[in-house]
Amino acid sequence: MKTFKTIAALAVAAALPLSVAVAPANAAATTITYGLWDSNQLPGYQQCANDFHKANPNITVKITQAGWDDYWKKVNAGFLSGQGFDVFTSHLAFFPDFVTNKQILPLDSYIKKDKVAVNSLYQPGLASLWKAPDGHQYGLPKDFDTIAVFANKKMTDDAGISAATLANLTWNPTDGGTYEKTIAHLTIDKNGVRGDEKGFDKNNVAVYGIWMEGSGGGDGQTQWSFLAASNGWKVNDGPWNTNYHYDSPKLAATIKWWAGLVDKGYMPSFAKQNGVGWPDQLAAGKVAMATNGSWMTGYVFGLKNAKFEPILAPTPVGPTGKRASMYNGLADNISAKTKHPAEAWQWVKYLGSAACQDVIASKAVVFPAIPSSTAKAVKAFTAKGIDVDAFYTHIKNKTTFLFPIANKKSQINTIINPVMDAIMSGTKDVSALKTANDQITALFK
Amino acid sequence: MSVQMVTKRKKRKSDFLVAVPFMIPALVGLVVFVLIPGIRGVILSFSEYNVFTGEVKFNGFANYIRMFQDVHFANSFMVTMEYVLINIGFQTVIALFIAVLLHRFTKSHVVKGIVLLPYLISNVIVAMIWYWLLDYNLGFVNAIIDSLGMQKITFFSEQLAMPTIAMINVWRHMGYTALLIFAGLQAIPKDVYEAAAIDGGSEWRIFRSVTLPLLRPVLAFVLVITVVGSFQIFDTIAVTTKGGPVIATDVYSIWISREAWGNNDFGYASAISVFLMILLSVIAFAQTKLLSANQSDLDR
Amino acid sequence: MARKEKEAAESEFLAQSTGAKIFGWVSLTIICLITIFPIYWMLRTGLSTTRLLFEDPSSLLPSHFTTGGFQRVLGLASLDQAIAEGGSGASVNFGQAFLNSVVLATGITVFQTAFSAAAAYAFSVLQWKGRDKVFFVFIVALTVPGIFLLIPNFLLIRDLGLMNTLLGIALPQILMSPFAIFFLRQFFLGTNLSIVEAALIDGAGHSKIFWRIVIPLAMPQIVTLGILQFIGSWNDYLWPFYVGSGDPSSTVLTVALGVFKSQTPQGSPDWAGLMAGALIAAIPMVLLMIFFGRRIVGSIQASGVK
Repeated sequence: MKTFKTIAALAVAAALPLSVAVAPANAAATTITYGLWDSNQLPGYQQCANDFHKANPNITVKITQAGWDDYWKKVNAGFLSGQGFDVFTSHLAFFPDFVTNKQILPLDSYIKKDKVAVNSLYQPGLASLWKAPDGHQYGLPKDFDTIAVFANKKMTDDAGISAATLANLTWNPTDGGTYEKTIAHLTIDKNGVRGDEKGFDKNNVAVYGIWMEGSGGGDGQTQWSFLAASNGWKVNDGPWNTNYHYDSPKLAATIKWWAGLVDKGYMPSFAKQNGVGWPDQLAAGKVAMATNGSWMTGYVFGLKNAKFEPILAPTPVGPTGKRASMYNGLADNISAKTKHPAEAWQWVKYLGSAACQDVIASKAVVFPAIPSSTAKAVKAFTAKGIDVDAFYTHIKNKTTFLFPIANKKSQINTIINPVMDAIMSGTKDVSALKTANDQITALFK
Repeated sequence: MSVQMVTKRKKRKSDFLVAVPFMIPALVGLVVFVLIPGIRGVILSFSEYNVFTGEVKFNGFANYIRMFQDVHFANSFMVTMEYVLINIGFQTVIALFIAVLLHRFTKSHVVKGIVLLPYLISNVIVAMIWYWLLDYNLGFVNAIIDSLGMQKITFFSEQLAMPTIAMINVWRHMGYTALLIFAGLQAIPKDVYEAAAIDGGSEWRIFRSVTLPLLRPVLAFVLVITVVGSFQIFDTIAVTTKGGPVIATDVYSIWISREAWGNNDFGYASAISVFLMILLSVIAFAQTKLLSANQSDLDR
Repeated sequence: MARKEKEAAESEFLAQSTGAKIFGWVSLTIICLITIFPIYWMLRTGLSTTRLLFEDPSSLLPSHFTTGGFQRVLGLASLDQAIAEGGSGASVNFGQAFLNSVVLATGITVFQTAFSAAAAYAFSVLQWKGRDKVFFVFIVALTVPGIFLLIPNFLLIRDLGLMNTLLGIALPQILMSPFAIFFLRQFFLGTNLSIVEAALIDGAGHSKIFWRIVIPLAMPQIVTLGILQFIGSWNDYLWPFYVGSGDPSSTVLTVALGVFKSQTPQGSPDWAGLMAGALIAAIPMVLLMIFFGRRIVGSIQASGVK
C-alpha cells in the first residue's frame, strides 16, 4: 500500500518538470510560424524571412520544414491542436478541403486594403486557381510548375538522337509519332538489340526507353496528362466543375497507347516499376527517359554520375498541333487558427511580392509566379548549366492547362485510382474508364 | 519448516480488497486513455463527424450499412487475413525454432543480440530498406537472382505484394517473438527435462511432448498478441505500397486511415474501427479459450 | 550458486547428440546471416554519398565512401557539405533529441512495467471473483486500433495543456500496457505458487510478497519485458510526432531524424543520413541489451521448495 503511495508521489514529482510550458515571448514583438516541405527551398525562404524582418522589425518569421508526408500531418494536427503553422505552403490537392473545413482565412479584405493587384501581378491563370467557389481569394500565387521530359544525354548520344530531334518530338495515339520511335530506339534488350531493330526481345529488356511512374490515377499530372491534353482532352469543364469526361474516347485512345508501350517492351510493367523511384532508375541507367515536373529539376541534375547526364526536352506536339503541359501553382495559406492574422498577412504579402520572389528565383529551384521573377529564375538555371526552356516554352506559347481542382477529390481518387492502376497492370481495359466516370458523376447528384 | 504439498489448494477468502491498490494505476490508464476515447469513438461511429469544424451529425446505422456494401470491406478482410495468416504462420514457427535453438544449443548472448537486431530498427526504416533490396530493377536480391540465371521476381506485384510485406515483418519480428517464447522456456523447470532425458528420447520427441505442452500459456499469449498486432499492420504498407498495387495491400488500418484523414470522414472511419475491434475481440477470445490460456499444465 | 557451477549445470542442459548439434549450428548460421545482411546494407548505405548511391545500386561496398551521413545526423555537417552530397540540409538537434528519447523511454519503461506487474499480480496470484472478467477487459484494450485512439487522446492531451511536453507524450502509455499485463500474468500463472502460500501462512502481506518474492522470481521476464518496452518506446514515431514535434524540448530522436525522409512525393530520402541515423539510434538499445543481457538468461527456476 505504502509503496504505491510513494511511487505515485514520485511519479507526479518527476513528471512536473516535464510539463513546464515555454514562457510567452515579448508582447510587443510577434513571432509567426511558417511551414514548407521542400528542403531545397529552405535557404531561399530563410533569406526572405531575414529580409522581411529587416523591413518589419516587430515581426519574426520562424520557418519549419518537414518532408511531404510529415508536413501534411503537421498541418492537420496543427488545426486540431491550435498550435500549428500561422502561414503554410499550400497545395491545390488539399485546398478544396481546407475551404470546406474552414481551416484557412480568406484574403479579400487584406488584398483590397493593401491594393495587391492579384489578377495582374502573376502569370496568367495562377490567381484564379486559389479562388474558391465561394468567391473568396485564399492565396497569392508564389510559384508554378510545368512538365517536361527528363532524359539521359549519354544514352541519347549513343542512340544517335540529337538534342534538336529530342526538342521536336511529335505524338499521336495511333502510331505514337516520333515520340514512340524515339522511345523504341532508346530501349535496349539484354543482347544489345534496340527496340526498333529486328530481333528485339521484349521479355528481356536491359534499359527501358521510358519509365512508368505509377498509373497517375485520375490526374496523370506527370504521366499522361500532357498527351491527353495535346489530343484535345479535358478532364472537366473548368475549375470546380462537376461535369467529368473520363469516358471520352480521346482519353481512352491516349491511355490505350500508353499502356501499349508495356506490351511492346519499351516501358516496364506496372509490377516491375513498383519500387524505387524514376530519378534513381535514371541515375542507375535502367531507363533512358521519364516525364516529370520542374520541381524535380534540382534533384535530378544533382544525380549526375558516370552513367547519367541529365537533359531536358519539351513534351511532344500532339494531334491538336500543339504541345501541352499541366500547370500547377502553389500559394501560401493563412491558418484560421492563427492568433496573429495581421502579421501573417504581412508575411503572405511579402511572399507574393517581387522582393521575395526574386530571391527565390536566384536560387534556381522553382519558377516564381511573378513574370519578371520567372525570367530571373530561368537565367539562374542557365547560369547553373541547366537549360529549362523545355519547361518555360509552355509559358511562352501558352500551351498550359490548369491542375484539376475539385470538391470531393478524395472520393474521386478512391474511384478512379484503382481503375487506372488496373488498366496499367493489364487487368482491365480502357472501357473501365466509362464505369468510373459514371460513378464519379453519381457523387455529385 | 517444510510445507506439505497439498493436492487441492485451500480456498482463501477473496483477495479483492488487496487487489484494488495493485490495479489502480493500470485501471486509471485503461479507463482514461482506452475506454473513454474508445466509447467516444463508438458513439462517433453512429454519426458524421468533421474533426476540423467539430460538427457532429447523428446518422444512426448509416455508416455501418455503407461499410458492409463498400467494396473495400470484403477486400480489406481478404488481404488482412492473407497478411495475418502468412505473417503469423511463418513468424511463430520460425520464432519457436529460434527460441528452442537458443535454449538447447547455445547460451551465447551474442546470438541473442543478433537475433533481436531487426527489432531494434524502426519498422519504417525496415520497410524502406526491403523496398529497395527487393526492387525489381535496382534491388540486391533480384541482382543475385538474375546473376544466377533465374527469372527476376516482381516482389511488389499485385499477387506478391502482400506475402512480401508479410515476410518483411517476419524478418523484423522473429527475434522479438523468439525472445518472448524463450522467456517462457526459461520458466520450465530443469528437472522436467532431466526426467525426459533419463526416459530417453530424441530432441524432437522432447520438444513435442514436454516443451510444447508446458509452453502453452506463453504460446497462447504470444499468439494472441501477435495475431491482434498483425491485424493492425500499418507502417510497413504506408511507407511502401500504400494500399496498392490497385487494392492488393489495402488492409484495415490503411483503409481506416484513408477514410479518416484522406476523406475527412471520421464517423465512417470510426465505424470500420469498431468492426475491427469486435472482430479482434472475438478472435482473441476464441484463441484464449481454445488454447486454455488461463490454466497452467504445471501441476505442482 | 557460484557462477562456474551455474554454467556447468546449464551446459549439461544443452542438447547432446551430434546430429542435433550440427543441425542446430547450421540453422543458427543461416538465421544470423539473413538477420544481419539488411543491417550490413544499412551500414554500407550510411557510409555512401547519397547523390551517387544509384550509380551502382547492387554493390556490396559503399558508393563513394564518406562519413557525411553520420555527420549530418550528429549536426556536424555544414549546409554546403550536405547539399554537395545530395543530403538533407535540415538541421538535427541530435543531443537534445537523444536526451529526450532517453528520458521518455526510461520513464515509460520503469513506471509502466511496475504498474503492469502489479496489475498482473492481481490477475494471477490474488484470487477474487470476477478476476478473469476484468482481465479480459484489458485484453479487449489490446484490440482497439491505435488509429481509433489517436485523435481522442490527442485532443485530451491538448485539453490538459500538455501539448509539446514529454509528459504529454508519455501519459497514455505510462500507466499500463495490456501487453505487459498479459505477459506477466501468463508468467505468474505458470510459476510455482507454493512459495506464495508458504509466505502467506507465515503471515506476510501481499505487498511484501510482491516485492520480495514474486518480482525477484520473475526478474528475467521483467527485464525482458522492460527491454522490449524500451525498444518500443524508443522507436515510437507517430504519437510523439503528433504530440511533441512542435518544440525542441519534446522532440524525440525518431521525430528529429524524420528530416532525412523524402522531401517531395517523387523524391528519394537522404539515404545516407537516414541509415546513419537509424544505426546511431539503435546503439543505446544494443548497449541496453549487452548490459541487461545476462539477466534475460536468469536463474532457472528452483525446482522445489526446501
